[in-house]
Amino acid sequence: MEHFEKNRCREQFPSSSFYRLVFSEIEEVGWEHLVKLADDLTYLSFRILDTKKQSHILEIHLPQNYPRHAPSISADVPYICELNWSASSRLNDIVHQFREHLGKLQEFWSILDNIDSILGVIDPRQPSRAASFRRINLGNDCSIVLSITAQSPRSLPECRFLGPSSLVNSLKKTWKRNYKRWMEDTPYVENLANVLETSLPRPSCVQNQQHQVECGICYVQYLPIDVELGAKSGSRPDYTCDNSSCSRAFHSVCLGDWLRSITTTRQSFDVMFGNCPYCSGPVAVKLNSND
Amino acid sequence: MTSSSAPSRKALSKIACNRLQKELVEWQVNPPAGFKHKVTDNLQRWVIEVNGASGTLYANETYQLQVDFPEHYPMEAPQVIFIPPAPQHPHIYSNGHICLDILYDSWSPAMTVSSICISILSMLSSSTAKQRPADNDRYVKNCRNGRSPKETRWWFHDDKV
Repeated sequence: MEHFEKNRCREQFPSSSFYRLVFSEIEEVGWEHLVKLADDLTYLSFRILDTKKQSHILEIHLPQNYPRHAPSISADVPYICELNWSASSRLNDIVHQFREHLGKLQEFWSILDNIDSILGVIDPRQPSRAASFRRINLGNDCSIVLSITAQSPRSLPECRFLGPSSLVNSLKKTWKRNYKRWMEDTPYVENLANVLETSLPRPSCVQNQQHQVECGICYVQYLPIDVELGAKSGSRPDYTCDNSSCSRAFHSVCLGDWLRSITTTRQSFDVMFGNCPYCSGPVAVKLNSND
Repeated sequence: MTSSSAPSRKALSKIACNRLQKELVEWQVNPPAGFKHKVTDNLQRWVIEVNGASGTLYANETYQLQVDFPEHYPMEAPQVIFIPPAPQHPHIYSNGHICLDILYDSWSPAMTVSSICISILSMLSSSTAKQRPADNDRYVKNCRNGRSPKETRWWFHDDKV
């Protein structure tokens, strides 16, 4: 049995020279950017900051015959860049290309951020950076779904109207009549108002609050990158208080730390039971899910 | 006496640092009425000026609070004391220690420096007599070696004042 395990390990894990290669390439990028690294080096991810200091997670899958074959990459972006890859390319080249790609996407994101901050966006509530559509409240139970082209974000978006059919029909007619008024250099929201011949309703305060996804304990969205946090490094709040009138978000790591630090917490197997620091409602957190 | 004798403190954790920076920004945008944060570049020790609310026993009086944050704030409460001379109050000892449950057993990370300040001011404002706790002398004598109030086993008095 032991023998079998050993053999299997040998099959699964790459050679030491491969480890050296990958580690030296990670070093080039900087260990402080590394978020995850699979034991068998088939997968790793980096945190990359763009020019606006927004952080992005770049996930890289290394093929067995790396670096002869290009790795595959993925990230929370509307579209991913084509990798220029040669046998002498390194991880740092991927990071460079991805940074360039992020640069190209800045205009797209600034338009979407502008829409999110000014208009009553109904969907998506907590948009991912990849999401290129927005459903926007137009009042009278009508809404418009805009699909924004990430490659040319200022161009006339594809749209769909939702709501009572009589109102939707008149909105469609207005759009058809006016869509030529769309100017690429006019501010986006102004363009929409021009084409729809209406001022768009502003979001309510309630909607604004729903964008708040910071942890109620550490006050940040992303946990720091820290060896002690292991796989939870850099993660977002992953626990929400079940009490619907509270619904506070927490990192399970933070909530777990808090529950561990007080004496009233009860533990059963690997679950800690205690109270939400905000509403005192019951909470239950799995212990040390550090993998 | 109390300010210099705090046990050698560990530096703030990353989480504590982030959280305190946010609290400080929030404080600067929206400070609690009657309080002034004395600007220093020490994130781990805040000195805050308190002005007694008008119409209370402490009107026109100014005191200073010293707030020290532990390495694992907000999992642990900060240590909050008045820098002597402390206001005369039935729950405030002459060495500056404050008998207030939220600073010890009832602390929760949902609280902030700002909410602590408001609780302290409300404790001052509801006082009806300027006097020390009955056990002041005994308590202060016991603390002479520079013990932190967080090491005291507090028995909380009534919550009327």
